[in-house]
Amino acid sequence: MAEIHFGLEAWLFAVALGTSMLGGVLGMASGIFIVPFLTMFGRIDIHTAIGASLISVIACSCGSAALFLKERLTNIRLAVLLETATTSGALCGVFLAGLIPAAVLYLIFALILLLSAQQMLARRKESIVAPGGAGRWAALRLDSTYPERAPDREVSYSVNRLPLGMALMYGAGLISALLGIGSGVLKIPAMDTALRLPIKVSSATSNFMIGVTAAASAGAYFARGEVLTAVAAPVALGSVVGAVLGARILMSVPNHRLRLMFVAILLVLAAQMLLAGFGINLIGHAA
Amino acid sequence: MSGELALPASLEQVLGRLLHYGTHVASAVIALGLLLAFGSGGAGMRIATIGIVLFILLPVARVAAMLLFFWRARDYRFAAIAALVLLIIAFSYVVGSR
Repeated sequence: MAEIHFGLEAWLFAVALGTSMLGGVLGMASGIFIVPFLTMFGRIDIHTAIGASLISVIACSCGSAALFLKERLTNIRLAVLLETATTSGALCGVFLAGLIPAAVLYLIFALILLLSAQQMLARRKESIVAPGGAGRWAALRLDSTYPERAPDREVSYSVNRLPLGMALMYGAGLISALLGIGSGVLKIPAMDTALRLPIKVSSATSNFMIGVTAAASAGAYFARGEVLTAVAAPVALGSVVGAVLGARILMSVPNHRLRLMFVAILLVLAAQMLLAGFGINLIGHAA
Repeated sequence: MSGELALPASLEQVLGRLLHYGTHVASAVIALGLLLAFGSGGAGMRIATIGIVLFILLPVARVAAMLLFFWRARDYRFAAIAALVLLIIAFSYVVGSR
């Protein structure tokens, strides 16, 4: 990869920029779009695409974490505890990624895309449980508060069903390492439904953990030579710029229409990944 | 708000700054590398690779900073949890590089 093509680099940058801008608005990691775009339209090997996507996932997580931390939405104690589960999952994912054939990866990816589409249409439910004295995990001091605006108040919440949350986080880490995505699609049910966190806390804490989870697998992909600079560098850069622009520009677009557009894109990509899994590529040539 | 539930704000500040500036530095290194690569090729790509490595190490540095913080706050249970996360990441690199 000593040869560098301006056209390819610019295309990779643009794809990352566009998906990250869109993803930022809906609080969704753009990683889920990067792998399908790179493999389907760029005819890039799926392992190389996953390696590049992981770097982009790290970049987006680190870039946006500062703001969430400043607003005191991130539950740091809970995050580090759950990270033992997500990184363990990532460790297994890294191991499995070397064994699973590319066709199967395409099929798993298609499934995750469909799940994301379904989740995007469903409304997230909030079922906060206020801290009630000494719970089972009181010694860990995970319960916390976060500031809510309009009306200005401090909301207390407790962390529930920790073992179930940990198990789901393990799965999220595994899928993240296997497919090069942030796995928000698995983390959100884990945090909203199992741990019963307020939506804002769950989004901030999930985003905070995604970077570490992706770093656990990205290092392994890098050591294996599956993070190609010519692909990963423009993708990472595009994601960072896209996230910054997305937060500024797209706030004026009606959220509902954007959501439906996202679902449509997810479905198209899922269909294509499914076909690719069976060896059919409608766009470009089979890799 | 009961003070013992929340961490001192300083950890949030420290981590926020680390991740914010870390993202800026790593992005700048990648951008510089890519620009140079269009001109000269090899050397620029190596610089961009350094930027990518910086991105991979940034969350790891974040966990290390947490370990240090919990240790100094004598919260040994959470220091151990942070150490465990670092250990799993290190193990993943060893397994992955085979």
